[in-house]
Amino acid sequence: MTAIEIRNVSKTFGNYTACRDVNLAIAEGEFVTLLGASGCGKTTTLNMVAGLEDASSGDILMGGRRVNELSPVERDVAMVFQNYALYPHMTVARNISFTLKMRGVPSSEIKERVEKVAAALELSTMLERLPAQLSGGQQQRVAIGRALVREPRYFLFDEPFSNLDANLRLKMRAEVKELHQRLGVTSIFVTHDQEEAMSISDRIAVMNGGRIEQLGTPEEIYARPATRYVATFIGSPRIELAAGEIGADGAIKVGAAAIPLPTGAGLAPGRPVDFGIRPEYVALGDSGIPATVRLVQPVGPTTHVTLDWEGGTLLASLPGFVRLNSGMPVKAAIDSRHLLIFDRQSGERLSH
Amino acid sequence: MSFARLREGGPLRKTVILVGLALFTFWSAAPVLWLIISSLLEQKALIAQPPDLSPQNFTLENFSTVLAAAAALGRGIANSLIVSLFSTALALVLGAPAAYALARLPVPRANGIAFLILATQMLPGIAIAIPLFIVISKLGLIDNVLSLGVVYLSFNLPIVIWILRGFFLGIPSGIEKAAAVDGAGIFATFWYIVLPISLPPLSAAAVFAFVEAWNEFFFALILTRQQAQTVPLVIAQFAGQYQTVFGQMMAAAVISVAPVILLAVLFRNQIIRGFADGMMKG
Repeated sequence: MTAIEIRNVSKTFGNYTACRDVNLAIAEGEFVTLLGASGCGKTTTLNMVAGLEDASSGDILMGGRRVNELSPVERDVAMVFQNYALYPHMTVARNISFTLKMRGVPSSEIKERVEKVAAALELSTMLERLPAQLSGGQQQRVAIGRALVREPRYFLFDEPFSNLDANLRLKMRAEVKELHQRLGVTSIFVTHDQEEAMSISDRIAVMNGGRIEQLGTPEEIYARPATRYVATFIGSPRIELAAGEIGADGAIKVGAAAIPLPTGAGLAPGRPVDFGIRPEYVALGDSGIPATVRLVQPVGPTTHVTLDWEGGTLLASLPGFVRLNSGMPVKAAIDSRHLLIFDRQSGERLSH
Repeated sequence: MSFARLREGGPLRKTVILVGLALFTFWSAAPVLWLIISSLLEQKALIAQPPDLSPQNFTLENFSTVLAAAAALGRGIANSLIVSLFSTALALVLGAPAAYALARLPVPRANGIAFLILATQMLPGIAIAIPLFIVISKLGLIDNVLSLGVVYLSFNLPIVIWILRGFFLGIPSGIEKAAAVDGAGIFATFWYIVLPISLPPLSAAAVFAFVEAWNEFFFALILTRQQAQTVPLVIAQFAGQYQTVFGQMMAAAVISVAPVILLAVLFRNQIIRGFADGMMKG
């Protein structure tokens, strides 16, 4: 069943269009991430779902009902904000219970629900502290607690971890995912961190310039990016693209070099394309395109090797540690089944 | 300049800074000190050239004389308190919601309106004194404490609105969004969230408005006769036609500035934070 549906929604601020024609259907219990660089319209989209901003045009449906004119409370959403947005003058307990007080929940029930949420988030010993007396991670947990205590139908997260340090971010990411697995509340999560989006989501909507470029599972987005933009935005290290032209012999020609096309690619000769390959599908060996090692960066489980070749830069992720030095000539073998080929003009993917 | 950096500096730098601070403190405190000293001196010792500060000349006589003739001063203090508290309280009650509306609600041309409010303060007092006098006397409200309070309110309200609007604009909007998601409407957000975190600027604005009203002389002179006279007018009356009894005048002044100084000392942390916040974020 569709829990949240965004239909042809646009948002303009004066002359600036933040979102254009966004369409998105989210199933009950699903965890969907809006992913994109800053200014891509992801937070604006979330705010419109929350009821904090009005859509300039289009419809927002929740549980099958149009909610454009409803306030956040009437939509039954809870939200976790980027900078925590805790009330600085209230204790943890009062921060968490404020929403219940606003809804006229009797105080005996408030106490019980706050204690339950605090226990679940390991905040029980901190209920009488002020936000300023907590660490960043604890503050973020209070913000999550504030959303949780309502038992809302929908959870919205607006870059909740971007102010946390790297370790804590990984920990909170896992906590939120576990929470979602336990409660199954329909959630929309906004982030600019592609790795975070991949690791936490059922589906990802990659946004660019106010539009959704691609909607799909993490695997689809990574392995079969719809556009050049999505291909380069997703994946770490970033994929490097080269410019070439489809040759008559079933290969992509870049100067003197030729990269074999996957069988059945069915691309007309002479067509200008941009193409690239994820670093894990590049191997170094006795055959392949000639290249020179520029940079070797071991990260533990893999080593990222940056190569120079006729088409520009090529990245290879090799297992473990490797004995390579910069300046070494090598041969790079490309697994052409995983070649990502894009139309030069439209940027859309041509390969299957 | 933080104290940590002051500590880090070399001895020369430290000395220069400390001497500078000492001079500034003296500059600020000297008039008050002289006020207190002269209120405790006998008239003869005070007007001697140079003033004779030997201990036997110090006396509490000025205070006892002033307090013996307390009727005028007592009434002045009472009037000043009423006028100042009235105009300050009303300026906050009216100014805080106005400032919040101008800072946060979708008021068309909010900046223009805010500027107009400030522009009312750009006329010199003398320019509005005569029309104001005519209006108030036609209303039969000359020598009325509350009408003076309303006049002070018209000066205090714009200042209060500007101090608070600057602070409200600086509140991260996430907090108010969170309140909206938590189910608070505009009034609940203002009452439960915005006002409590605005205590420092509210105190700063209150003290500012109170002191403005407490010290005001010009309009009080024009708009009162006898019943509604405020402290500054009462003190001025110690300057007689033939003789000015400086000691008594100073004693009356000491008594009258006491509440203001007390206020400033009690609220000093709030005042400093309030003004600093307003300046950085406004």
